[in-house]
Amino acid sequence: MSKKKDKRSTTSDDEIIGYRQQPGKLPFSRPGSGGKNRFSESTNPEMIPSSQGGSLKQPWGPHRHDELVSGQIIGKPTALVDSSWKVTGRAHYGDDVRLPGELIGRIVRSPHHYARVLSIDCSQALELPGVIAIATGDDAKNRFGVLPVTKDEHAMAVEKVRHAGDLVACVAAVDESTAREAERLIQVEYEILEPTHDMRKGLEDSEEPIHDRGNYHIGESNIQKRVFQEFGDIDGMMQTSVASHKKSWLFAGVNHAFTEPHAVVADWDPTGRLTLYTPQQVPHYLHRALADVLEIPMHQINVHRTFVGGGFGGKSDPFPHEMCAAILARKCGRPVRITFDREEVYWVNRGRHPSRIEMNLHADKEGRICGIETDALIDGGAFASFGHVTTYYNGVLHTAPYEIGAFHYTGARVWTNKPASGAMRGHGAVNSRCAVEVGMDDLAENLGVDPITLRLANLLPPHSATITGFRVTSIGMRECLERVKKESGWDEKFRKQPLGKGIGIGCGFFISGSGLPIHWDPNKFPHATVHLKVDMDGGVTVHTGAADIGQGSDTVVAQSVAEVLGLPLDMIRIRSRDSDTSPVDLGSYSSRVTFMNANAAISAAMQIRDELLDATVEITGAERKGLVIGDRRIFLKSDPAVGVSYLEALHKAQEDRGALVSSGAYRTPPMGKTHKGAAAGLAPAYSFSAYVAEVTVDVETGQTKVDKVWAAHDCGKALNPLAVKGQIIGSCHMGMGQVLSEEMRYGRSGNLMNPDLLDYKIPSVHEMPEVVPIIVESNDPEGPFGAKEAGEGPLLPILPAVCNAVYDAVGVRTSELPMTPERVFKMIEKRCKSEGVSDPTDLECPSLEYSELQTILEKRSDEHKLRDRERRLDEERIDYYNGALFGLDPSTPPDEVDPRWEVRVTPDEEYLTSPRLAGSAWKHTERRHMEDSK
Amino acid sequence: MKMPPFKVLSPKSLDEALDMSKELSESGEDFDWIAGGTDLLPNYKWHINVKSHVISLSSIPELRELSETHIGAMVSVAELAGAGSTHPVLAKAANSIASVLIRKSGTVGGNICLDTRCYWINQSETWRESIDWCHKCDCGTGADCRVIPNQNTLCVATYQADLAPVLMCLDATIHLASPAGTRSLPLGEFFELDGMKRNILEKSELVTHITIPEDSSEWHGDYQKLRQRESWDFPEAGVAVLWRGGSSGAPENLRVATTGLESIPSLHSEEAEKAVSSWRGAETVEVLAESIRKAVKPVQNTWFSPSYRRKMVKVLTKRACRDLLVV
Repeated sequence: MSKKKDKRSTTSDDEIIGYRQQPGKLPFSRPGSGGKNRFSESTNPEMIPSSQGGSLKQPWGPHRHDELVSGQIIGKPTALVDSSWKVTGRAHYGDDVRLPGELIGRIVRSPHHYARVLSIDCSQALELPGVIAIATGDDAKNRFGVLPVTKDEHAMAVEKVRHAGDLVACVAAVDESTAREAERLIQVEYEILEPTHDMRKGLEDSEEPIHDRGNYHIGESNIQKRVFQEFGDIDGMMQTSVASHKKSWLFAGVNHAFTEPHAVVADWDPTGRLTLYTPQQVPHYLHRALADVLEIPMHQINVHRTFVGGGFGGKSDPFPHEMCAAILARKCGRPVRITFDREEVYWVNRGRHPSRIEMNLHADKEGRICGIETDALIDGGAFASFGHVTTYYNGVLHTAPYEIGAFHYTGARVWTNKPASGAMRGHGAVNSRCAVEVGMDDLAENLGVDPITLRLANLLPPHSATITGFRVTSIGMRECLERVKKESGWDEKFRKQPLGKGIGIGCGFFISGSGLPIHWDPNKFPHATVHLKVDMDGGVTVHTGAADIGQGSDTVVAQSVAEVLGLPLDMIRIRSRDSDTSPVDLGSYSSRVTFMNANAAISAAMQIRDELLDATVEITGAERKGLVIGDRRIFLKSDPAVGVSYLEALHKAQEDRGALVSSGAYRTPPMGKTHKGAAAGLAPAYSFSAYVAEVTVDVETGQTKVDKVWAAHDCGKALNPLAVKGQIIGSCHMGMGQVLSEEMRYGRSGNLMNPDLLDYKIPSVHEMPEVVPIIVESNDPEGPFGAKEAGEGPLLPILPAVCNAVYDAVGVRTSELPMTPERVFKMIEKRCKSEGVSDPTDLECPSLEYSELQTILEKRSDEHKLRDRERRLDEERIDYYNGALFGLDPSTPPDEVDPRWEVRVTPDEEYLTSPRLAGSAWKHTERRHMEDSK
Repeated sequence: MKMPPFKVLSPKSLDEALDMSKELSESGEDFDWIAGGTDLLPNYKWHINVKSHVISLSSIPELRELSETHIGAMVSVAELAGAGSTHPVLAKAANSIASVLIRKSGTVGGNICLDTRCYWINQSETWRESIDWCHKCDCGTGADCRVIPNQNTLCVATYQADLAPVLMCLDATIHLASPAGTRSLPLGEFFELDGMKRNILEKSELVTHITIPEDSSEWHGDYQKLRQRESWDFPEAGVAVLWRGGSSGAPENLRVATTGLESIPSLHSEEAEKAVSSWRGAETVEVLAESIRKAVKPVQNTWFSPSYRRKMVKVLTKRACRDLLVV
């Protein structure tokens, strides 16, 4: 250190005062060195936040990352960094991996819904020339599953098969035809058991439950998980209610229907290490599961995530076929590739749960939502997957954005002999959100008020807590509603259009990252870690375990690093594929990646930034406080001529030590309450959205066409507006599928009738409406540069918006999704019958006359608007707990002061005398308690 | 998903094709004709009634002729839809078939000879094994029909092609050729009720072309189709209505044909004649539509339920007659 100083002092201390960069005259690289452009560009003040002296307006106040903003890339529409690989066809997906000497693996599947496997005879198949190895359940008896609490899967059937299509054995052969032939030759003897298809039957005792959870088994039933939750003043809700909405919904199961079917390649190298190539959303969970199943230590496994051709939650479990490939490859000593047919994708499924949801909403005379009662029975299929969490999400994720007086939730997930349900975009929140938002529309109708006004007058303020105790920070709900209302021309259209034309509103609320890491204590390990390495070339190598599944996680990490270091995107290289080189990341689910991984990337980049600033101080002698980073240049803000190029500073910092490396991590702050299940639904931030959909319904056929959607989403800060808009439009497409045409249809034999993309009706380009994406930026205090999620939340509002628009058009409310033309037509027929109308074209449009409550609500919403603005700008704000709207002290949690608001997580005797559908799961006693009572 | 292996033969003329078919038949080999392959190959991928040989008709120039009155079997659906000489209702029906890509490969002959479809047959082999097969492709098990059990005589899979009803209304004639010679017959007589056989084509026989009477331009009408999506989906119901005259009152002639409802497309001559003979405008159309609804008997083997499809046939018939009521 002292030597360096000496060196500098010997040059020309007295010749240059300060340090003025003079291109061409000094032995340094040119300004703007690095990147494709020769010279650095001057800073665009519109990209710099006003708090840093730029002209970027921040109506939600300054942000903790403001001083890191160099104006490079954040907020600019940016093509994804891996897009050129994809558009040139050079991206390698799961099935594109070709290793020398590979074998083809095929899976033998059960033709029965539920059966005991008595014997498997592989002898004939093994004699077939070209067959190298066959594996069965005996080769891997350890259980696995994505959640440590519910590991109930095997690589292949051990003892029982649990749905048609369940894995029984697998075979590796020299080519696909041979493997298929071998499949046929494997003789399996089954004892057929009585299957359970109807989720309601899963609540009853069974002679042969699909799984046995030992001591924790609930009665002798197929109930995998049950939840009971009561918050707030349940008794008061019934007394004060003046308008109620009640509806029993039936939601069909839907599949992600991503483009790329599952595919995996397993390869054991000569040193005995396994590399598994797979399109995965959760490489780390797979890594753990492989170690369990193969009984080898984790460090002997490298999980290589290939390009992923769409995930949407459908590739977020460790899968049995991945185990099969590894087991076969170990047996053969050669690489084994398994690629699914589309039908196999439906058999592994993990799509949205088929659900029966009873949704009751109550409003009091002041138009407050005095209670929500939800009962959700969800059909988990044959395995647990993420179901434990889904059971909670169906309830807790609709306790915002509205301030509510009481919340009662009973939920149950049952095993049935169907392909397993799991996590799918909008995990657990989509169906019940649809039911809530349709209920809000109906409540507004009953109260004689505009549905948007009803919503605006009942919103939680920013920086508040929901009734379930979730800490909510930024809330852009109000802006979302106001924007879609204005841009759609709501006031001119709602209840004013001719028969067959309708407009509807729907809102959404979703977690931005799950607060609880699945495998460990959040206080011990971080949620996400990012490593940086900067060598002499100036390029930054980013090591992250975040799985880019097409959502653009590589891009957002690259953007974050580029922004902090003032570099163009082409100087950032992402290495996110191999578990050997990537720090552990939990995976791409629960909309956590942007929030957590970008935060980790920012903190890693800040360390490099510090070193660059130190080096600049050392070179220029300028005061560190005044230094800012622009495009590949570090300079004094007050005198931009004083500065160095990025490379100069970098090379200075690298003296004596070579490449700079840093590691950044993110963990959530401590949050939430302590009751059982309190962690489910907890997130460091939440996204909000409001959509208006305009539809045309053909009253004679029931065919519904969505004409236009105005889609406002509060993503905190659009780091990449192009990607956010893409997510919004894509979400509309996916949600429209669920609301209008997509369903996994089971026939009378219990078989899935449409495991193909012809009969599983994804909307085509003809069905896709114009979507107007509206980005609302609430600048979340903890999000990276203010950002929150934009990948899942945008899906939620489209479903109820379409349902409500159909009501506006033809006056019928569905309680079953998808609303196929057939179902809409049936409702229209029913309405005709009840009104004595013979021709549906003679039906009257629904109309709405405002009651006096309308002005009261408008006034309250205006007051709340002011309240919200104050809260978001006031750093000294006092706490606000759900319940204040009902007259309680806003600054203390109501359950701590008011016994009526106490949290209850088990039902009492009285409830059990007449429980609702899912609530009846509580009639059983858990086995360990049965033993207690003996 | 791999197709089972088969041999492809590519004759360069109709005679050569017929010779090949004769040879194969004589040596006891089974084969399928292949035109665009958009129907056959997916079925092959699903291992449904796969044959050891296919004879491709794609290099036979005489099957590609297209004029106002003559449509070669190998004319692609897109060519038919795009040709100026095509009757507008036929063009409309052609343009509504499947998707752009499929219309480019799929042929008129292939569309006419489209295999019948059913939830219980158009599935993979593993799937069909799990329901113990079905009557149409029983793999030697003598399996029952899964749609209507306990009737092991007929296959009720649905005929879901769009061109046939329009061509039937245009009074088209279908021309067949086989090593034994050629024959021609009205299109309506081409189809057979049993979905197993589905048409009268004999082994080694193929469709060469379709002819349309010269007066077709005097016929006006419409084709209406029911489906979930405006692309890809097969018709769940299709109604063609064509008439001659009628610009001032009753039409001189009226023909109505339906598809997508039974294992054959049907021409409803009786109902149409009755309507013409007692023409009272909109009222008659209502009666006609109701009689068509009663005449069709769909079963539960496609996306929509039979009762909805029947109700929609009525709506579609009325819509197809809309221009008839405009004076």
